[in-house]
Amino acid sequence: MKTYIVGRVLALIPVALVVATIAFVLIHLAPGDPASIIAGPDASADDIGKIQHQLGLDAPLPVQLVRWYGRLLQGDLGTSIFLRKPVTAAIFDRVEPTLLLTAVATLISVIIGVPAGIVSARRQNTAADQSLMMFALIGISIPNFLLGLLMILVFAVRLGWFPVAGYSPLEDGWLATLRSLVLPAFALGFVQSALVARITRSSMLDVLREQFILAARAKGLAEKALVYKHALKNAMIPIVTIIGVSFALLIGGAVVVETVFNIPGVGRLIISAVLRRDYPVIQGVVLCIAGVYMLVNLLVDLSYLFLDPRVRYQ
Amino acid sequence: MSVPSAARDLASAALTLGERTERRHGLGYAVALLARRKIALIGVVLMIFTVAVGVLGPAFVRDPLHMDVTGRLAAPGSSHWFGTDDVGRDVFSRVVYGARLSLLVGATTVVLAFVGGVACGLVAGYYPRLDNPVMRVMDGLMAFPAIILAIALMASLGPSVTNVIVALGVVYCPRVARTVRGSVLVIRETPYVEAARALGAADVVVLLRHVFPNCLSPVIVQASFVFAAAVLSEAALSFLGVGVPPFIPSWGNILSEGRLYLIQAPWLVLYPGAAIMITILGLNLFGDGLRDLLDPRMRGLTN
Repeated sequence: MKTYIVGRVLALIPVALVVATIAFVLIHLAPGDPASIIAGPDASADDIGKIQHQLGLDAPLPVQLVRWYGRLLQGDLGTSIFLRKPVTAAIFDRVEPTLLLTAVATLISVIIGVPAGIVSARRQNTAADQSLMMFALIGISIPNFLLGLLMILVFAVRLGWFPVAGYSPLEDGWLATLRSLVLPAFALGFVQSALVARITRSSMLDVLREQFILAARAKGLAEKALVYKHALKNAMIPIVTIIGVSFALLIGGAVVVETVFNIPGVGRLIISAVLRRDYPVIQGVVLCIAGVYMLVNLLVDLSYLFLDPRVRYQ
Repeated sequence: MSVPSAARDLASAALTLGERTERRHGLGYAVALLARRKIALIGVVLMIFTVAVGVLGPAFVRDPLHMDVTGRLAAPGSSHWFGTDDVGRDVFSRVVYGARLSLLVGATTVVLAFVGGVACGLVAGYYPRLDNPVMRVMDGLMAFPAIILAIALMASLGPSVTNVIVALGVVYCPRVARTVRGSVLVIRETPYVEAARALGAADVVVLLRHVFPNCLSPVIVQASFVFAAAVLSEAALSFLGVGVPPFIPSWGNILSEGRLYLIQAPWLVLYPGAAIMITILGLNLFGDGLRDLLDPRMRGLTN
């Protein structure tokens, strides 16, 4: 068990190194250098040179790369060109809505997806199964920003149940926050729930064909206990895996959905940074998201310890 | 490694959509196979529809850039089937041109991702010494959520159609590489590869003639999903304003402008939205059907 945990954690190191390098390369792909952007359009070559020196941009690339690693290890992501504050602070200011949005969306996707998948698997090839899977297929085919716009049109404009856009921060009361998150989280979570439903179905079908299910049935175990206790437990690994893997889709989707609903989250931050060519912020957000994604997948790997005893004895 | 030849025929036939299909059975056989799976057939029909609109459509519709400010935000009717947008451009022709752009971006992204991914996958799978370094770079690229990496690349490259394609190609390349490498690791150990090497065939020949054709089937299934993902990502990037430049009609751009007039002119969102859904649904249905056919283990799992 210990070797499994240590192995998983150690496996992250080379990937993290590559991720940091890619983020470094990203900024150097850009035409024009950050110094001239900071200095503004009317700066003299002298000014630009000064800023370049200040930021260490005049050093050879390998030296810059090593310094970049060093700064990252200290948790320093640089300073935003436009906002004139540390990138970490800029991200921290925006993290609450994004975090809540992804959390609620994940919850929605599990609440809808897992039961739908179970029903579908238990009634394989019936009308219920086929219509559920057709629904899931449509769910996968509808882009979240489109679903968001349609939901605004129906639930906010026509019916007036929810606010059209915007975000109410937690400090103004969690109920208002939740109300402002319902539509975006559903737009985001629905696509996810379709994925979860499909995986749950196929994973459950696999398990339901196993010998031990036959044995359990033969000894007269109640269908409910059979499905929820024996089958679902064994079908959990692919389900948890897809929740982890599709977290990338979710956080990427959050960036888009935040634009649809005008939510001041990390997604809005990176998009406005792209439009302002605020490279340190782009770099910082990209790195943080990759970091969170790697962490989520580490947690998924570690959850196997609880889901599958075989992993524990490795 | 036994790839059912019928399945391979189907794949190549279906993928090129009838461009080049004479391999023992031809297009008719592939269609017959697909027809047995009704859902996949619906996918093919939807795809043919999209391709027809995208390829032939622009020749028949009016100028998507022509502005008629007096007729702005006109509701759908006989003169403008899908209505007009905020500067009086015909939404129908913009959606049709958008189809062409989506297909262009999707197809070239697939080509780019596959050239890169297959090359990396073959090399990583075949040469154990290169496996680790190549795959770690791919892992690193995959540690970024697809759309986030695409946004970051677009920030550095600047908005243009070519750059969208390059960015998406880079994003999807590692996913292909991983699939190819997986197959190569198995194929590398087969007797026929050993035989080819014993006969003194050069590595390039072994890789291209013997290994590559046999790792095609999972990759072909992946192609339809990468195509769908690329179309979606392009729409998302353009919607966010960091993709295709705003003056080019693309579904994402129409949606992005239409979003501001959601209440007065919902058709600006509904029609391009429907176009995206039809395209993606077609590709997904087709991909599912293809996977059912090419991967017997999955048969019966998805209907």
